[in-house]
Amino acid sequence: MKLNSALLGAACAFAIAPAAFAERGTDGEVKLTFPQAVSIMNPYLSSGTKDIYAASMVIEPLAGFDDSGNLIPKLVSEIPTVENGGISEDLTSITWKLIPGLLWSDGSPVTSADVVFTGQYCMDPAGGCAQLSKFEGVASIEAVDETSIKVTFTGPKPNPYTAFVGATAPILQKAQFEACIGAAAPTCTDQNSMPVGTGAFKVTGFTVNDTVSMEANSNYRDPAKPAFATAVIKGGGDAEGSARAVMETGEFDYAWNTQIPPDSQAAMAAAGKGQFVVAFGTLVERLEMNMTNPSADLPEGERSTAMHPHPFLTDINVRTALSMAIDRDILREVGYGAGGKPTCNIVPAPAAYASDNTACLTQDIEGAKALLEASGWTDTDGDGIRDKDGAKLSILYQSTVNPIRQDFQALIKDWWSEIGVETELKAIDPGVFFGGDAGSPDTFQKFYADVEMYANNFDGTDPEAYLTQYKCDKAPSPENQWQGENMNRFCDPAYDAMVTELSSTRDPAKRAEMAKALNDMVTKDTRIVIPLVHRGTLSAHSNALGGVMINAWDTEMWNVADWFRVK
Amino acid sequence: MLTFTLRRLLLAIPTLLFISLIIFLLVDLAPGSPMSEIPLTVPPEVRQKMIAALGADQPVFVRYILWLRQFFWVEPAYLLDGWFGTDLAGDQQRILSWQSRSPVFTVIGQRIPQTLTVIGTAYLVGILIAVPIGIYSAYRQYSLFDQLGTFVAMIGFSVPTFFTGTLFIIIFAVWLGWFPTKYDTTLEVTDWASFIRQMQQMAMPVMVLGLANAAAISRYMRSSMLENMGQDYVRTARAKGMTERTVVLKHVLRNSMIPVVTVIALGIPSIFGGAIITENLFGVNGIGAALIGAIHASDLPMVQTLAFIFAVLIVGFNLIADILYGFLDPRIRYD
Amino acid sequence: MRDTQAAPLVQVEGLKMYFPVHTGILRRHTGNVKAVDDVSFAIHQGETLGLVGESGCGKSTVGRALLRLYEPTAGRVVIDGEDIATLSHEALRRKRPTMQMVFQDPQASLNPRMSLSAIIAEPLTEHTKLTAAQRQNRVYELMDQVGLNRRFANRFPHEFSGGQRQRIGIARALALNPKLIVCDEPIAALDVSIQAQVVNLLEDLQDTLGLTYLFISHDLSMVRHIADRVAVMYLGRIVELSPRDDLYARPLHPYAEALLSAVNEPDPDRAKTRKRILLKGDLPSPANPPVGCNFCTRCPKVFARCLTEKPALVQVEPGRQVACHLFETIHPATGSTGGSEAKEHLQHGVTQ
Repeated sequence: MKLNSALLGAACAFAIAPAAFAERGTDGEVKLTFPQAVSIMNPYLSSGTKDIYAASMVIEPLAGFDDSGNLIPKLVSEIPTVENGGISEDLTSITWKLIPGLLWSDGSPVTSADVVFTGQYCMDPAGGCAQLSKFEGVASIEAVDETSIKVTFTGPKPNPYTAFVGATAPILQKAQFEACIGAAAPTCTDQNSMPVGTGAFKVTGFTVNDTVSMEANSNYRDPAKPAFATAVIKGGGDAEGSARAVMETGEFDYAWNTQIPPDSQAAMAAAGKGQFVVAFGTLVERLEMNMTNPSADLPEGERSTAMHPHPFLTDINVRTALSMAIDRDILREVGYGAGGKPTCNIVPAPAAYASDNTACLTQDIEGAKALLEASGWTDTDGDGIRDKDGAKLSILYQSTVNPIRQDFQALIKDWWSEIGVETELKAIDPGVFFGGDAGSPDTFQKFYADVEMYANNFDGTDPEAYLTQYKCDKAPSPENQWQGENMNRFCDPAYDAMVTELSSTRDPAKRAEMAKALNDMVTKDTRIVIPLVHRGTLSAHSNALGGVMINAWDTEMWNVADWFRVK
Repeated sequence: MLTFTLRRLLLAIPTLLFISLIIFLLVDLAPGSPMSEIPLTVPPEVRQKMIAALGADQPVFVRYILWLRQFFWVEPAYLLDGWFGTDLAGDQQRILSWQSRSPVFTVIGQRIPQTLTVIGTAYLVGILIAVPIGIYSAYRQYSLFDQLGTFVAMIGFSVPTFFTGTLFIIIFAVWLGWFPTKYDTTLEVTDWASFIRQMQQMAMPVMVLGLANAAAISRYMRSSMLENMGQDYVRTARAKGMTERTVVLKHVLRNSMIPVVTVIALGIPSIFGGAIITENLFGVNGIGAALIGAIHASDLPMVQTLAFIFAVLIVGFNLIADILYGFLDPRIRYD
Repeated sequence: MRDTQAAPLVQVEGLKMYFPVHTGILRRHTGNVKAVDDVSFAIHQGETLGLVGESGCGKSTVGRALLRLYEPTAGRVVIDGEDIATLSHEALRRKRPTMQMVFQDPQASLNPRMSLSAIIAEPLTEHTKLTAAQRQNRVYELMDQVGLNRRFANRFPHEFSGGQRQRIGIARALALNPKLIVCDEPIAALDVSIQAQVVNLLEDLQDTLGLTYLFISHDLSMVRHIADRVAVMYLGRIVELSPRDDLYARPLHPYAEALLSAVNEPDPDRAKTRKRILLKGDLPSPANPPVGCNFCTRCPKVFARCLTEKPALVQVEPGRQVACHLFETIHPATGSTGGSEAKEHLQHGVTQ
């Protein structure tokens, strides 16, 4: 992503904002509904998207992303770059400059002290900050003057737009949160539910896991915005109910996360009261191949570890055949409808980082059979299952309990049986699967199965940290209490070397090239990961609500100040 | 009666302590972790720190003892402080929800009113519908009315509330547009118009739950009436020349109410427990919705505290039902 | 004490009580249980009519239909000059004080949630204009009459013994000064020692209050003790209606004969010589009675006519009516039927 173009994009976004001619607070109330209710308005204490989105209407970061993933300034006058001197030549520091005269909703001025405090707040070791990774590599944060903040990194940081960027790292008011630092953080109930912010709205009422009531921030930096006088977020229920409240009864203006079956989508859209919008971020539903042997015959501690290679998934021809047998478009159609796209990449977006890898999109059962045949996997005992050297193509395929995933499992099992691969399906409670309990055999880290399916994505627009997950040393094992994200136990020195190189490469074009290469290394080159569907977030908004621009790179309420009532 | 009540209350203490331990262990040992809600983008080190900040990394018995202390000492102290302006609790740690980081009892306090209004009204409506239906069905056994009542009760029994709820939403909200599908908890009843709005938003959850409650209670009422209707004393009353009204409403009904009152009393804890599905469906932020939300998020302190409060209520209302029995039926004496 | 010219207090004519039977998926009306099938009799003022028979023969149904606790299928029940069977509900209710009932199960017949005093006083509240104090006095008076201690007034039925409960039941029945009391097996649920007390109480009350009883029982010795005349029922029909002494001395109907042969004989000598008539077979179903005489399936003296024709209850001797083809009518149709020595004038011949 070129920063020039980013700025240009931001400028465009502002230019087309149609509410500019409106006056603040003239459009009444905007009503939002989330299927999961808002628990807390402090993103540093919650990683729940619902909480982050709700909070983003009230508290803001220094900079955010627009709907195409470009950086846009929020509380600063411009995005710091090497060119404008905001980033040091050696990439070890970045200096942000606040818009002069910026006010908190309580009327007090926003100063560099607030930003510095926010950094301390999240980086306090006792605070349990959920967004700590945003501050990774930060050596110090200091106030240069009243409005300038300098963030220094421990080394060169090609992507310094992490701390204070995006809805997950907003600025807290020092005066309000001063007593809430460290271990005291969770006990500050009032502060956590009604933070003072700079956003278009300010909280007037908060009921835990139910409703957030807001009114227009009278000190918002644009005196003409927001168009709405009040806003309400009602939480709870389910995706279907939220979608219905917007699309069929028209009680609400906006519903976030209305992922419902494709046929219901069509039926609700037919009511004509609203429309669905999809934000395609980086979430990819994928199959992960286990490169180690998960056999229950192995002693505990050796199972699914690098000590025992997998009996057949280590053969690239098998992995390729498994991928070829899948019709990704049918999966999309069945599971997500308009809310999904078939994909062959684990980095499907933003466009600059997405590889042009599309070969997997066509199903080729015959090709898969031929490939297995050619590589010596034949059905020697006539039971319909291919084998070779005593190893049978018999797969334990696990995923979480989820109706769409169970549909996917059944479909894929069918296709695989067509090519002579036997599949046993297993569905695990998501709380256990993702729970990370080292004592449970069913976590996705332990991976006591041959193939597992889940969805993963990366935060923001830069895939570096995400691609780092496939490094050798990220493999979960008994030694590290099964922590780590390299579930496949994939290990390729060339991959590791390129990841290291990526972390010191600054040129965006080069970074994109390398990211694509890394993506291809784990997907089309090795089939360690078999991507299935690029999933979007389906939201719905009423036809009476204008100004909505769906955004996958930041909060969907990123431009809530521009929303207006269509009259 | 007093000694009986006191003895039962004393017995309830070890029972409840035992229940609390079981609940704590069950909830704690159940699969799932508060971390499963955290997106995969959060690195493991950060997860570990978050768990430590919640206190979730402590051994289960340490947490249990802490929770007992908080439940039986700190929280009542806060309550007294709130009432009398004393400072018993000082700044001791209250039971905090892992999900919202706010005190569990504050959340419960926020939610009880909605649950009591909506679920309580539904229960009341259910009883008010069920008792006359039960009486008349029994009085005119096998009549058209009785057959119809049986049919409706069967539907109320067998059709789950998430189905009737969705059906009602489609009929009354989507097609007819009479009622809102989401309960607006910020609505304050100040005048006639807001009262009407409150009635409108309560209508569907109350209908759904009322139907389910009425189904059960009307069947109890009917069978209890039928059992008594054939008794000799009813014949005696008729032979005495009492009016049918007196016979049915005084002799039969009063005797038939004994088991029904017990059933009603034992159902009251479920009002406080809320209706998980219905509350969730209509967005009523009651206790049931809080419980299901907490379960989804593996918010153990919330789940443990709510489950224990339900246990207390159930034990309490069992006792109340027993005592009521003593008042209603002269044949039963506890001393 | 009895006005021989007066009409009887109770006059039952052609009383039928059928309970419909519904079968099949559609619950069609496919038949009737003929619990009482064409029963006629009369009871005079101050008299005790015993009604005996096996379990299930319809005795209790006659008693209940008599007071219209059941709606009779057909027939007339004239009590004290009014046809009970056709009275409106309100008129019937106002008529109820004249006719009362004492039930078999004293426990079940008392409302468990009402105190003794409330049970006895309830009809007073409904049918009289007594003040509360007057009612209480009347309750005490009734309790004295039936031999219950006044201290018990506020107790509940479950606190009493069986005999005491039956006294409560009697006191309750007496509260409104009835003329007729139907005693439906009043002693069957009681201990033998208590039975005599209750029967003596009923007799004493009859003497002092001039009551008329229909005494339903399967206990033939007790009926012999209390009744003036006795009606024997079999399968919903009266087979013999005779003065007590005549019946016990010389039963006419084969069924009555068999029934009485089963009575325990207190004298051991006579008991030895007594010949018991054992009936074979079971009672036919009242839903499907025989075409001819109801008793023909078990009658030791059965002959061809019995199988095809139902015998009518006719007077065969003065004061004695029998429904059996073995007996000829001696006073056909009307005429004084006479009775036992004590009660000569009964009524018009009762025929089918």
